[in-house]
Amino acid sequence: MTAFAAALALLPAMGAGILMGFATSKAVDATARQPEASGKINSILLLGLALTESTAIYSFVIALILAVK
Amino acid sequence: MNTVTIVKLAVAAVAFAAFLALWCKKRHDTLDEPDPKKAKKKRRLPFFGMVISAWFFVACVVNLVTGGSSGIHLELEMLSPRVQLGPVSVARTTLTGYCVLAVIAILCVLFRIFAVPKFKDEPRGLQNAMEAAVEFVDKFVHDNAGDLSPALPAYMFSVATLLIGCAMSELLGQRPPTSDVEYTFSLALCTFFLINWYGVRKKGLFGRIKSLASPSPMIMPMRILSDCAAPVSLACRLFGNMLGGMIVMDLLKNSLGGYAVGVTTLAGLYFNLFHPLIQTYIFIILSLTFIREATE
Repeated sequence: MTAFAAALALLPAMGAGILMGFATSKAVDATARQPEASGKINSILLLGLALTESTAIYSFVIALILAVK
Repeated sequence: MNTVTIVKLAVAAVAFAAFLALWCKKRHDTLDEPDPKKAKKKRRLPFFGMVISAWFFVACVVNLVTGGSSGIHLELEMLSPRVQLGPVSVARTTLTGYCVLAVIAILCVLFRIFAVPKFKDEPRGLQNAMEAAVEFVDKFVHDNAGDLSPALPAYMFSVATLLIGCAMSELLGQRPPTSDVEYTFSLALCTFFLINWYGVRKKGLFGRIKSLASPSPMIMPMRILSDCAAPVSLACRLFGNMLGGMIVMDLLKNSLGGYAVGVTTLAGLYFNLFHPLIQTYIFIILSLTFIREATE
């Protein structure tokens, strides 16, 4: 049962993956439109990706806590 | 030694010999080729064949010696095992972290004694690189957190060095200190202290409390809660990423057995080099963003 719970706890990783893809596609759009702003877009993108990724990381840590005795 | 192993070894050896012969022939053919790039391109296919067959041969030999893979199994502990050092019990990862710190400190002292007195007005070589690095970090911190104190870029630079050194310690077979939640949480607590230190120093104690209650006093508990969540999120992010990389590397090594020769090297380029660099960048840029938020 705990293994099942650990698997369920990893569900947010799916959302994080999809949404990181969205964010990156928007950043690519923005860079294509305004190549001179790429440095600024890059740093904002990395910050946003880090914050989005933390969802997946939390779920991963919780799954580990559940699965590892 | 059963027949399958013998056949595998024989196939690998014959393939290696064949590719070697082909490579020699191509090399002989392209000796008078005027364009060296073109000649290289023609030799590329037999070269890759040689590398792959040599890898297969070595993997088979390693499998033969060590008994090969025993299936996927992973022994993982969230907290690292502890060792007894006299009266105190210390986590293994903390000891590794101190070793990394010692190496970095010795390097710094050597730089100070041997390299810094030779510095001239016109930078050359090593001095150029060091000045560029220091200037880059100064500018980076200034852009992201404003002009707070000359100690902040120095601290961030040392944290970056420490984090990258910790990730490199995995290459020596140690569990990286950053894959232990105690270690990352202590670093995140330093960031938490810096956030409040600079916030109080810039605005005064009452200014800091007032900025926490800025739109209305009703929101103050939420603001305090989100401030306290910052170090937890920093620590968990670094810990989860490093532990994930370590688990992937361990699984690769355990499940592939002898075939892991070379594969882990390529995977390690990502998981031990590129990934820690990005995580270090994120740790530092998030710390600086939190500090700027507190001081604005």
